[in-house]
Amino acid sequence: MNRPLNLFKTTFAAATIAGALVLGGCASTESSTVVQTGSFTLPEYQTLILSNGLKVNLMVQKEVPLITFNAVVRAGSVNDTASGLAHVTAQGLMLGAGGQSKSDIEQTLDFMGASISTSASKEGSYVDALLMSKDLDKVLPIFKNVLMAPDFDLAEFNKLQQREVVGLAQQKESPRAVISRYFNKLVFAKHPYANPTSGNSESVANISVEQLRAFHKGFYQPNNVAISVVGDFDPQQMQAKLEQTFGQWQNSEAVVQTPLAEGLPQLTQSQVLLVDKPDAIETTFVIGGMGIPFDNPDYVGLTVVNTILGGRFTSWLNDELRVNAGLTYGARSSFVPYSQSGVFYISTFTKAETTKEAIDLALKTYARLWQKGVDQATLDSAKAYVKGQFPPKYETADQLAGLMSNMHLYGFGNDYINQFQAKVDSLTLAETQRLIKQYFPQQNLQYVLIGNAEKIADVAKQYGEVTKIDIKESGFGK
Amino acid sequence: MKWTRSALIFLLAIFSTQGAKATTAEDVNSFTLDNGMKIMVLEDSSIPNANMYLFWKVGSRNEVPGITGISHFFEHMMFNGSKKYGPKMFDRTMEAAGGANNAYTTEDMTVYTDWFPATALETIFDLEADRIANLDIDPDMVESERGVVQSERTTGLENSNWRSLQEALKGGAFSAHPYSWSVIGYESDIAAWTLEDLQQYHKTYYAPNNAVVVIVGDVKLAEVKRLANTYFAPIPAQAPPKAVRTVEPLQKGERRVFVKKESVSTPNVMLAYHIPATSHADYYALDLLADILSQGNSSRFYQGLVDKQLATAAETYVPMSFDPNLFYILGVANQGVDASTLELALLEQINQVALQGVTAQELEKVKNIKLMNFYRQMETINGKANTLGTYEMYFGSYEKLFSAPERYNQVTPEDIQRVAQTYLIRANRTVGVLAAVEESDQ
Repeated sequence: MNRPLNLFKTTFAAATIAGALVLGGCASTESSTVVQTGSFTLPEYQTLILSNGLKVNLMVQKEVPLITFNAVVRAGSVNDTASGLAHVTAQGLMLGAGGQSKSDIEQTLDFMGASISTSASKEGSYVDALLMSKDLDKVLPIFKNVLMAPDFDLAEFNKLQQREVVGLAQQKESPRAVISRYFNKLVFAKHPYANPTSGNSESVANISVEQLRAFHKGFYQPNNVAISVVGDFDPQQMQAKLEQTFGQWQNSEAVVQTPLAEGLPQLTQSQVLLVDKPDAIETTFVIGGMGIPFDNPDYVGLTVVNTILGGRFTSWLNDELRVNAGLTYGARSSFVPYSQSGVFYISTFTKAETTKEAIDLALKTYARLWQKGVDQATLDSAKAYVKGQFPPKYETADQLAGLMSNMHLYGFGNDYINQFQAKVDSLTLAETQRLIKQYFPQQNLQYVLIGNAEKIADVAKQYGEVTKIDIKESGFGK
Repeated sequence: MKWTRSALIFLLAIFSTQGAKATTAEDVNSFTLDNGMKIMVLEDSSIPNANMYLFWKVGSRNEVPGITGISHFFEHMMFNGSKKYGPKMFDRTMEAAGGANNAYTTEDMTVYTDWFPATALETIFDLEADRIANLDIDPDMVESERGVVQSERTTGLENSNWRSLQEALKGGAFSAHPYSWSVIGYESDIAAWTLEDLQQYHKTYYAPNNAVVVIVGDVKLAEVKRLANTYFAPIPAQAPPKAVRTVEPLQKGERRVFVKKESVSTPNVMLAYHIPATSHADYYALDLLADILSQGNSSRFYQGLVDKQLATAAETYVPMSFDPNLFYILGVANQGVDASTLELALLEQINQVALQGVTAQELEKVKNIKLMNFYRQMETINGKANTLGTYEMYFGSYEKLFSAPERYNQVTPEDIQRVAQTYLIRANRTVGVLAAVEESDQ
């Protein structure tokens, strides 16, 4: 366990930015400078498609004697028929599998220092295994059963369900942990991207073990899964083992996916969701709108522009709100991409008394994108920064396996890594102007404020139509 | 025995790079400048990046009432301007060269972390040397930084039950030693320390003889030596800081604290027991005991509390520490379970270890988990730098990292039972409860 006994300079930390999921002016006559940061390409790997449609990626990395397996299933909360179903199904995989009980599996894995963890996101469900190479033959059969043959034991399910419901209330003790769920609900309304992966306390309390079985049967099928294996192993032996382990897995029915390109909302007015937490000692807020899908060709360019706005310590937002004004410990902005859409938001926090000051300063700073734009020196610096901080995101077996899972899920290829530096280098000032105009939401901004409503309700109504809810209400918005 | 073989693999693999020969402690290069600054270098070209970690022997244990939190505040001020690189220029220069940084402060030390493309190595040396030798504390920056740190304190208390409860509990557990206050310090001290306090702090603690530097990545030893001699060697040594004198008196009975937070949905219970410093021989047994209690779903806490629906989480934390510190246990109650029931359930697990001991199998299990954690730290250049520096600081030499597997291996089930009986006893503990409502006397 790593407990926050330590205090940090900042919440911007290259070492803690996980994977590729968060992306991190006026034209001038200044000449641009390209900072060389060393070349970085994706390590070699091979891809196999088994006869049942299962995709397998194998990448050898021998720095430490470990192996990571990462299975991704194309099924997430966008597929929920009851809110939280994908998540609870993923959790349920660990309740016993292939006739081996939950506690037996846990004892066996823990004894080897190995672990299997399961999770769901909006569009994917994941089974990850981490093990020492010498334990491969003991862990692989468990990994297989957890993925393919979960028992969904009823007694264990009842306990899990009860803990999940309590956990949803506990998560709301930290505004930072839940604010993006409120924001997605506000932006996407009835669209499946609004579904909180965690579900809500009422829906999760009503999910049945039969629903888990049906969800598993419908989506956990070989032609809907990719398995990425990274670490210290012999690729030929691994290929044989995987064919033997997964080759007989049968597709049982056609996978029915939810259409996500349809019904995306148009944001026609500013809305403010005010989430009342009566004992709050600060206001936590986000401001934003629609973002971009993962396969957007301008993804890399937007990473650079967002770095200037709110993606690093010297970014405009952090410089103004933290360094100049002392209003907050940190302010940032992010694009969060999905397969067919995405969100963009500015996020920070400040004491209740300075809520208006902080929101206004965030908006004023954001408006610089259109009013002044980016200058050449800042662009050069941001380009050096995103290039220099890129390789450590793909250093461990875990990170590389997660990358390959995302490549499968969101449909981008090796070029994302291998062309990254060249794409960054080629970004011009004129191009940044186009990106700002085309992608950053300027009108009809959406706001979520979590704080003491008694103190900040008058501030909230200055930014749009206010909906007020209590943080203890089930779910994440109307 | 299984562990012995594992330990051997650990030793062989610990610093080997892809396909390269297995390496040993001798492959870590270390040298000390005339001014007393010790520098460790590990060449690793797995990615075209490198890092520099600077460990300073100053933390909240070096503070006194009136300046609590100043070590951490100082960590912030180290980014706010020096002679060559004025306010904001440290970060701007580093980021424009492709680098990023952070820093953290603990009870014992302050650590500065720079991550950069290896091409930027000289820029990093120049930046670090300038702020160590020539920090220029700007009064205006002090004032805006107070607001930043107040916000950091508030956001920690708003979002973390652990932070809220631990701050109060430390105040109860320590009556004399500076571990009594939180690293971030008292709100009134954050508002009140002076420019003079800060200047004195820099002179006393930011001397090269009070630091250890680790560099890992795509660098060459000769080049690092050249740069260290150019940039760090000219910085003069200072008289060593005064030792921390206060020794916490022996606790002679249970202490209790309560923290009210209305939005908490179920009670949190924290137990803290006084234990010796990390340099004590019992460190390894205490560390493994913590894992036996809480690591994984096969652990005693999970089986005895979470699986029984008494708690939604039950954890342990044993910080590495220069002075005798605390063995922490935290339980988060399930719905409908009151704080006293949860407390008794935690105590039952502890008492079982003290009364009946642990099995050889569960001890071997946590040794295997420990090995896995070592490997994971050694998978990145940052993990290597942090681990080397941490061992140098807490065990007196990075070479102790290479004997750590053997030290863990020597721990027996009897040792685990003995340390539980010695330290995890009622008279030695402080109990903290965080809940929405305090139980009534009526």
